Order: sequence, then structure tokens, then C-alpha cells
Amino acid sequence: MTIKLEKQTINIFKELKKIKSNYVNASDFSKKLNIDYIVLMSAINDLKKNDLGDFTEKEVNQVSLNKEGILYLEKGLPERQLLNILLSSNHQELSLLDFLNLSKFDKKIFYIGINYMKKNRWIAQSKVGEDIKIVLIQEEYPETNIETFLNKFRKNNNLDYLNLSLEEKKIIDILNKRKLVKRENKIQRQIILTEKGKKVALSQIKELEQVSKLTSEMITSGSWKDVNIKPFDISKPGKLIQSGKIHPMIYLINEIREIFLSMGFTEIRGPIVESAFFNFDALFQPQDHPARELHDTFYLKNPKSAKLPQNKVVQAIKATHENGGDSGSIGWNYNWNENIAKKTLLRTHTTATTIRRLAEYYKNNDKTPIKVFSIDRVFRNEKLDKSHLAEFTQIEGIVIDENVSLSNLIGIIVEFYKKMGFEKIITRPGFFPYTEPSMEISVYYDKLGKWLEMGGSGLFRPEVTYPWGIKNPTRVLAWGLGLERLAMLKFQRADIRDLYINPIKWLREESYK
Amino acid sequence: MPTLELKIERLEKLVGKKLSIQDLQYDLQWISLDLEDINEEEQTVKVEYNPNRPDFSSPEGIARTLKGYYDLELGLPSFEVSSGNIQMYVESSVKTVRPYIVCAVVRDINLDEDEVATLMNIQEQLHWAVGRDRKKVAIGVHDLDKIEAPFRYLAIKPSSISFLPLQGDGSPMTLEDVLKYHEKGIKYAHILKDKELYPILLDKKDEVISFPPVINGILTTVTDDTKNLFLEITGTDLKAVNLALNILSTTLYDMGAKLETVQIVYDKQEKYTTPNLNPDKWEISTKYINDYLGLNLSIKEMIKSFEKIRMSANKSSKKDYLDILVPPFRGDIMHPVDFTEECAIGYGYFNLPKIIREGCIGEYHPIQKLANKIRTIMIGAGYIEVLNFILANTRRQYDLMKQEYHKQEVVEIANPISEEYNTTRTTILPKLMETLLFNRSEEKPIKIFEVGDIIKLDSKEDTGAKRELHLSVVSYHEEADYTEIKSTLDFLMNTLGCSDKIYIKINDNPTYLSGRSGDIYMEKNKIGEIGEIHPEVLLNFKLEFPVAALELDLTNFILK
Repeated sequence: MTIKLEKQTINIFKELKKIKSNYVNASDFSKKLNIDYIVLMSAINDLKKNDLGDFTEKEVNQVSLNKEGILYLEKGLPERQLLNILLSSNHQELSLLDFLNLSKFDKKIFYIGINYMKKNRWIAQSKVGEDIKIVLIQEEYPETNIETFLNKFRKNNNLDYLNLSLEEKKIIDILNKRKLVKRENKIQRQIILTEKGKKVALSQIKELEQVSKLTSEMITSGSWKDVNIKPFDISKPGKLIQSGKIHPMIYLINEIREIFLSMGFTEIRGPIVESAFFNFDALFQPQDHPARELHDTFYLKNPKSAKLPQNKVVQAIKATHENGGDSGSIGWNYNWNENIAKKTLLRTHTTATTIRRLAEYYKNNDKTPIKVFSIDRVFRNEKLDKSHLAEFTQIEGIVIDENVSLSNLIGIIVEFYKKMGFEKIITRPGFFPYTEPSMEISVYYDKLGKWLEMGGSGLFRPEVTYPWGIKNPTRVLAWGLGLERLAMLKFQRADIRDLYINPIKWLREESYK
Repeated sequence: MPTLELKIERLEKLVGKKLSIQDLQYDLQWISLDLEDINEEEQTVKVEYNPNRPDFSSPEGIARTLKGYYDLELGLPSFEVSSGNIQMYVESSVKTVRPYIVCAVVRDINLDEDEVATLMNIQEQLHWAVGRDRKKVAIGVHDLDKIEAPFRYLAIKPSSISFLPLQGDGSPMTLEDVLKYHEKGIKYAHILKDKELYPILLDKKDEVISFPPVINGILTTVTDDTKNLFLEITGTDLKAVNLALNILSTTLYDMGAKLETVQIVYDKQEKYTTPNLNPDKWEISTKYINDYLGLNLSIKEMIKSFEKIRMSANKSSKKDYLDILVPPFRGDIMHPVDFTEECAIGYGYFNLPKIIREGCIGEYHPIQKLANKIRTIMIGAGYIEVLNFILANTRRQYDLMKQEYHKQEVVEIANPISEEYNTTRTTILPKLMETLLFNRSEEKPIKIFEVGDIIKLDSKEDTGAKRELHLSVVSYHEEADYTEIKSTLDFLMNTLGCSDKIYIKINDNPTYLSGRSGDIYMEKNKIGEIGEIHPEVLLNFKLEFPVAALELDLTNFILK
């Protein structure tokens, strides 16, 4: 019969065999073999499993020198130190005060030392007037009992009180009084070999095979029982995996999409190449408005011109600009030019698509309420840098309903932003050219500990909705925000362009916040 | 957005109330001002105001509204204007150049240092907020006592007169010279471009008061000794010039000066006087306002709200209607709806209820639904999703891909700010090649995909172009080849349940390696391309390993 053990266990077993006594103290043994205590005990457990070894526990009343005791073990007790000073000073006789000064001892310890010198009958004391003198009175000064006993601590600072002789126990009492030792009860493990362990010859023991990989052969043949599967450092970081992953921005977009859907909004999608008509004119932006200028808008050379919708609507919008039309407005008081409205451009906001939804409502004679949203790309003719993009993503939601109010808009917005994870929301007055009343939205961002502007909102002006037959008391609520602002808060990139130029390392490592 | 720096101490004096920065931080937002910046040390704050409130361009203007917010002064602010006898004759020659002028006389000014600074600043602010950088409105402030009435506003030949402009070198200049050599002239010459005549303001002795919208004459320079001011505002929009004059003159009035009218005489007959500080009157339904706000305010509460925003409101002769008077410095009221917001601000946005209205069932957009389906399949196949701009560059889209530029299908941007983006993409693949170029030193394999839009010209669309959803996939590593990308396509088509409709015909496409590329067909339509990228294309993008790629038009997969 052979027994298979790990190499480490075999070595420890060999050492145990060498021990003469019936047992060995575990902590002493780990020191002796220079093996970590835990490694030793796990090997003993291995032996136990194979019925080769075991350990018992016993309570030990342990005595050890404290810090001061250890100091005296090295330098000698105060009385011995003082004696040596006196001997080397060649004074046969010395006043107590002079001796104190000569010794440079702490006063308290000095007197303890003098006391024991007297007890040991090394010195005599005489009083001459106020002056106390001491005199050495022996020829030789051999080691005292206490000093002899102290040497026992040199090998091992932990002595088992119960194993001491009566005389030694008395010395312990003295040391205890002198506050040089501490006593405590401790559990000690004693390693033993079982009867089998004592009998087994080393030749019967073989080293256990260690493998790093569990193979199919091992599993099916059952040989896995005879091998030792090498343990891994289980807290070590794993190798980066080459996996597929959704882009963090798309993940964020999908989260927001789900919020809209959960609130009963349907997603809409409209053209990116848009006419100035839907992008500006239908939003009651006068044709000389600075926002329409070249430096803000990508106008197109090809396609050059867009077709306008049915003439009735075009005429209504023309009238709205010029004199308010039937909207009740005084209008902008200028001559509206159809050719400017036909200009093509890359849409500067998704509100152009929202207007197309109003157009559809008008065409199909849809029933209210209508709740739609869009999360889509828009374009601004800007130079790219680390905080500016020429193309970005807008989030927008609208509600068309009878007698909806600013209070309904606040209700929706608070719900929406709460679902996005913002607890504190402020809705305050704002200004947007095509909404009235208008409202700004600020949210409290815990991580930065401050309020951040997080979107705009309002009711579409009558000048915007009347040309599409949406007339009081039917009104349109709208709100919107930029996705990138939110994304930069979540992903903390130094450069906003990173969101659209795909640093692969970032994509592989970024978490979905 | 325009901004304005406010000294707390000065604002306190104007409002008549002790103000702390902390309180302002909270309070200002409710009258639609944004606190941009706080300087505790100097005790100043920087506020941002909305372009519909140019009357917020001075501390005086802000203080008026703030007094209402704090209940210190309610209703319409009053301004006294006495009638003067100064006349401004407008000649018909300005009609095609810069048709409008309005004026005011301001007497007994006694401005401290801060007020002088405000007077300078408010002109700047109004030039921007109302004047479209002087194009629509230009303001001139003059020392009245240096010139002699009556005045004339006319248009003359650019070289017919010389004068000493402000900030000149001391020598007389013609109007033509001003536009060519004077700093302000160079800056504003574009406003008078192609005009044969230039506008000019002259006094009785034909001394030049100003050359609007460019520069004043040195004659009327305002100094510490100036007692009386002459304000003239020229422009192309009568409403705008009046608004600028009203804001400027009411601000001076609030600084303690006295206002006096000027008579404007057009073509020697049509006369009117400015400044006209009479309020505009509107008749508004209380139900309309309550409905819009979702409130049920009593007439009394509503009147109080308007008074807080410094309008006056009284019961109208019509039942449940209010007569509302709008102060002359407000230029943003053009529809009854504008009063809904005024009422809400007066009532306090913070007092508005949150009312949720239920209803509607939300639905995915079929295209977004498909896009997400494709994404799920592609990440299962081990590809990382990337996102690129739809904006693109013609050279990288075509030349580097060895493709010919088909003008008839490509969007062309007329005014790109940089050549980096002069078109929109017609395929996604070149963007993925750029992504590989950008990441070429990263750990391989790099396997990426993008689901997104491309744009193609299409005369059937009313805007002349259509967007299509595409998928493009690339794999970049030492072992990348056709079989790998074909397996990816097979996996995709199997999972979509379309593999029986898909087949590939070998093609000869310069982007790909000949013999290792094909066109992907779905039934009779070509829907994409697949293959190993040509080494020349790889080198164009500085790539050192093979790339296997595909591009698919997803239009046919959309479930309707």
C-alpha cells in the first residue's frame, strides 16, 4: 500500500518522524522548520485525513518576560548594573547621592536596585549626619537565584508555569512582584503522530501528482481523485476577454428610450437632410434670425432645394411670420421669402422632426392625445474641439393634447428626470424662441454636489401650431436635452470627441453607468 | 447668451433692500436670470439674461423686476417725459439706406462712476441684443450742448464730406476713408456694402454729429462736464429702434436724469415724437391664462401676479378679461400667450403644481427595433460596437477606398467650417477603416461593427435625400480573411431567419481583393458587399494586417 501526499506534507512528516518525544508544540515546530504556521497546520490536516497524524489542543498557563524583563535579561537586573558601576569606580565607600548621580539611573529604579543590593547583602549602609553612605562588603558576587532563573527565558520566552519546580514558582512570584513578567492562559496545539504514522515507512509514501488543468480524461476515468489540482491565486485579475459589447452611448440611449416607452411615448424618426422650412420657418424663426446664419448651420450645395408641403400650410406660415395670420400674433412684420424656406440643410435640432409629426397629425386628422419622442442626430456648423461637436444627439419628447398645461409639463418632466436617476429637479422660467411659456430644467447631481442645467421645455407657441390646425385649447408640450452632456457626466471623458471616435481601449473597459 | 456683471452694493441701492449673494443665487432664477459666476471677494455676480429681455442689460432694468419679485414696488413703473422743442428732419434719401431714426434729449445728468460704466456697457449690450451688431440698430450718445438744433438725418455720397471721427488720428476723414482706414469703419463696413449713399447726422451748421452705424464725430464727445445728452438711434426696423431708445432712456431716467422728447419730421410733413414711453394695452382672458398654466387663480391673484412682473392689470369691461399694460421697455410681447409666462413668473414657477396626465401606449420605432436586434446578434458574434459621425470627408470616403465619387448620390455641404467634414457618409465602411487606423496599435484582434445611418441623394424625397440604416463589420488581425467574415454573415442571416433568401455573387470592386469579394443579394436586390480589403486600401489607412469586411443595407429587414 502506498500513500500519496503533497511534497510539502511529506517533508513535514519526515521531520515529525525524527522527533523523539510523543508530541511537539506546533508553533515551536513551525519556527524550527521555518514554515508558515498555516502551511504547517494544513499539512497536519492532510496527515490527519490519511490517519498518519493529528493534533491535540491544551490550555497552557504561560509565563513570559515583559518588555522591562527582557531589557534586564540583556543588561542585568538594576542591582547587578549598579554593582558593576560601583566596582569599576574603585570607590569602596560612596555617598548615596553621589552614587545616584554617578549611575545616571532613574531615581525610582536606582532605589529598587539599592534595595536588592542590600537584600543580597552586597552592601552596607551607614548614616553620618545627614549623609548616607554605602560600602561594599563582599569579596565576590556570584549569580543570584533570580539571575540564574532568568536565563531560562533566553531559549524561549514562553514558560509553562505548571512545569516549573516549587522554587522556580517562588521566583516567578518575586518577578511578578517586581512587574517583570506577564502570565496568561493560552491554547497550544500539540502535533502527534498516530500509531499508523509511527509505523509507516517513508518508502511507502509517494508524492501526489499536481496538475494545473482538469482534463476530460481525468474526469471520465476517475483519475481526478488521485491528482492534486493546483490551487490558483483566486483574487488575481483575469485576462481581458475579447468580447462583443454594446457602445456605452447606445446603452445609455436604450435606457432613455425605455423610460420614454414606459411613459407611453412612441418613437419617431425624421430626415437628417431637412428644409429650412421645417427646421426654422415652421418654428416661427424670422428669416433674419442669427441662429439661421451660416456659422451655425450646415447649408447644402447638393441637394440644393427642398419641396415645401401643401400650399395651404405654406401660406399660413407666411402669414404668421408677416402679420400673425390667424394665430392671434402680431407677427414679425417683414416679407417672408419662400426661397429662403426651400434651402436645404442638415437639421440643427430634432424639433424639425417634431414639426413633421404635427404635419402628419394635420394630414391624418389624428386623435389626441399624442405622445412621441426622438433620440437622434443633429448638426451644427462648429469647429470640433474637446468640448464642441459638429454632430451630436438630441433627446426630445412632445405631447399633443386638449387643454394640457404648464403644470402637466412639469408633471411629465419631474417623472422623466426621476426615472433618469435625478431626485432633485428645479423647473424655472427660461426662453426659447418657439415656446411660450418656456421652462428651464436643472437637476442636482450628487456626484458633483451641484445643480446642472439639463434641458429646456415649454408649450409650442400658437404661431407654431396654428398653421397645422392645432388650435387652442389643443396645445403641444415639448422638452429636450442633449445626450452628450449626460454622457460626459456619466463617463467622465476629458474630451467629448471620444464619444464618437471609438478609442477601443475605452470601449473595452467602460462600464454601463 | 448675453451676460452682465452686477455689483451687489449697487443693486442693493437700486432695489432698496439688503441682498446677499446666497439669496440672489436662489432668487434670480425665478425672474429668468441665470447666475453665471460669483465673486465673493469683489461682491459681484455675473448674470446671464435671455435675448427676449434686453431690458435686463442694465442693473437699473434688473432692479425694476427684482423690486416686484420682493413685493417692494408693484405694477407699471412710471416715467416722466416733458415735451421738448428740438427737431430732427429726416430726408427721403435715407429710405433705401437706413430708413429709421428715433431720438431723445436727456437733461441734468449727474452720473457717478458706476453709472458711466453702465451707460457705456448698455450700448454694447443693446447693439448685440436688439441691434444684431449694429445692423438693425445703432446707438449714438452725444453732448447736446456742443451742437445746435435742428438736426438733419440724410444720406450722402461717400466722399462728399469730411469730419473728425472719434478714435481717429486727428485728421479729417471722408466717410469712404472711415470705412477703409478707421478701426470701427473696417469692422462695420459690411453693413453699408453696395450702398451708393451713406447715412449721416448733421446739426444746424452742418457739423457732423455721427456717421451711423459706424462712428460718432469727435465734436459731441461726452465728458465729465457734460450736462445734457442727445440720444439718436438709427436702424432698419422701427420697432427695434424704439425699443432700444426706450430701454436706454428709461435707464437714464432711473439714474435721475430728466427726459425730453424730440420731434421727428419725415419728408418735412409726417411728424411724431420720441421717446414714446406710453404702455401698450392688451385685453386678455383670465380663463385662457389659467388653462395654459393649469391653475385656477382668482382675478385678484392674477392681477397681483402681473403687478409683480411690473405690468399693470385691471378688470376689463369684458367679463373675465383683464386690461394689461405693458411697460415701454418690453419688446417681447407679441401674442396673448406671452402673458401666460408673465403670469407664471409673477405667481412663481416654484408654486406651480405637478400634474401627471395618463394615457397613450408607447411603441418602438421599427428601425430602432431592428437596429437593436442587429446589435444583439453582432455582440453575440464577438464584435464591439462603435459609433461614428455621419458627417464625412470626400477624400476618405472615396479616394482612400479606391471608389469613384458619384456626385449624383452624395450630399455636398455648401459652407463647411473645415474640410474635415464636407459631406455625409454614403457607406459606413470607410468610417470603420478610420476607426482601425485610430486604434491600430491596440491589442488585436480588433473586431468592430456599426449600425447607423447613411445619407443618399434621392429626388423622390421632398428634401432631396434619404437616410438608410446600414450595418458595417470589420475584423482586423493577422488571420483575418474572407472565411471569417463569411461566417459572421452566415451567423447574422441565420439568426435573422433570412439565410435562404441571401446569396453572394462574385464582384470586381476595387476596395476589395479580387476573387475574395462579392455582392450580397437578397432575392433580386443587391443589399451589400463582403470581402477582404485590398492591400492598397489597407496602406491608405496605414494598416499592417488584413481586414475582412462587410457592409449591408438593412432597409429590407425592417418589419413593418
